[in-house]
Amino acid sequence: MTAAATVAGGTPRPARPSQLRRNVALLAVAAIVAWAALTIDVDLSKLLRLVGGLARIFYRMFLEHGPDLTYVQTSLSAMVQSIEIAWVGTIIGAIFSLPVGFFAAKNVSSGAISNGIRVALDAVRAFPEIILAVVIFIPIAGLGPEAGALAIGIHSIGTLGKLTAEVIEGIDPGPVEAVRAAGGTGLQVQRWGVLPQVLPEIVAFWLYRFEINIRASAILGVVGAGGIGFILQQTIAYGRFPKAGTALIVVVVATILVDTASGWVRRRIIEGSQGAQLEALAPTTAADIAA
Amino acid sequence: MTSATRSAARPVKPRPSLLVPLGIVVFLLLTAASLSKQLGIGLDAAGLIDDLGRGRPILEQLASPNWSYLPETIGPMIETFQMAVIASIIGCGVALPVSFMASRVTTSGRVGLFVTRWVLNVVRAIPDVLYAMIFVAAVGIGPLPGIMALILFNIGVVAKLLSETVDGVDPGPIEAGRASGANSFQTVRWGVLPQVLPHYVAYSLYTFELNIRASTVLGIVGAGGIGRTLFAQYKLFHWSNVSVAIVELFVLVVAIEAISIWLRRRLV
Repeated sequence: MTAAATVAGGTPRPARPSQLRRNVALLAVAAIVAWAALTIDVDLSKLLRLVGGLARIFYRMFLEHGPDLTYVQTSLSAMVQSIEIAWVGTIIGAIFSLPVGFFAAKNVSSGAISNGIRVALDAVRAFPEIILAVVIFIPIAGLGPEAGALAIGIHSIGTLGKLTAEVIEGIDPGPVEAVRAAGGTGLQVQRWGVLPQVLPEIVAFWLYRFEINIRASAILGVVGAGGIGFILQQTIAYGRFPKAGTALIVVVVATILVDTASGWVRRRIIEGSQGAQLEALAPTTAADIAA
Repeated sequence: MTSATRSAARPVKPRPSLLVPLGIVVFLLLTAASLSKQLGIGLDAAGLIDDLGRGRPILEQLASPNWSYLPETIGPMIETFQMAVIASIIGCGVALPVSFMASRVTTSGRVGLFVTRWVLNVVRAIPDVLYAMIFVAAVGIGPLPGIMALILFNIGVVAKLLSETVDGVDPGPIEAGRASGANSFQTVRWGVLPQVLPHYVAYSLYTFELNIRASTVLGIVGAGGIGRTLFAQYKLFHWSNVSVAIVELFVLVVAIEAISIWLRRRLV
């Protein structure tokens, strides 16, 4: 092959890079998938039943008599509680993750403290909200939205603390040096050298976390930690599908509304007034202009 | 001081935007309403500190795991892992073409783009546990409804991340493909896919991590895995057995995350 290329007179083609690593990786993934698919306890006849079962549920939720409109009031107030749980949880996460993030960032904290806090944050993040609610906060605060908000708050400290630390590690060192050169104390360096650089991005993360927390708080009611999850579980488990259909629509509409509002504010914070206005007016055209 | 006012006058301080005080007022109102006893959830910090004592016996039992229960949790733990593997491969596989449909760079048209994005918005608005509840109602308890729930969850996550990456690709290779007569499939295959492939693999690994974490809780609504064991023991108040499941879950999540981060670093 190479000989042929040189004989033809041109420069020889570069040698093809080895595909060995990639092929071994693909083979390993394929082996794990095959093992999982072949040994998992799933009855294939169930897969066929799934389609019919879903069609039946969809029919009873939305088509047979339509969703149960008398249930809108109940669903809405339960969803409002879910949103409140997410809101309070996000605020708990934001308040605690900000200082924690500073201490976890390698460039403004010391190595040992930063490593210790990072391990703690990783540990907190490993537990899903619903597990935190079941094993820690329901025993302490009892059943109800309080336990849900605390579970979401603690989990959010884990995720937001890590993101905050990463943003702080990426700052421009110039302003920090400038504040130091002007005689700023340790706290003043953080306040005037670091915080203004990272705050917009961190606030955007808080809002993004709020959007994620809405999804968590919508299901915490399954274990009794408040919100719409309780009525979703009760109506679905006992086959009250028209009511479940109403609650499902409320969840989807409320979540999309919150996402849209929060997304607009996030863009406004990151890109300034022009970006947000263009994007809000005509999502595709603004993007076309930019591209 | 005088010279500053005369020659190099300070630039005029920009007028503060009205949106900032407005935002602060809205924020305070929402927070006050959420915290109040009448309108909101009634979070009571002082009461919580009193309540700390109430959870103490349970936390003490949690702190002393009953290791003789370990063998019974191995099976469900493996099931959790299998569910995550199968759901990741199917979910990420489906998400690849969907992402191209949801990006304005590679979409077939405005209508297709609009419809795909809205379907994805709805898919992402439904939490994984809610999917699991519906699928359990459709086929009964077991890992199948859990896998289906994770697949939908994955399509939502990967399609969102990847379509945004596709939006930002370098248009050069696409133009080169079109100029040399490639059809739209060939343009995507040779002009776009090579650019986003490392990101796609990284997102897939990230979703696999999310799946491991999510599949531990799906069992709470009967959708298989370690969550079912954990919740059954919780309902029986066998806290030291719950503790074993939690420790295992923790080890699995941390191990998978470490491997996945290591792999992602090498890829991107």
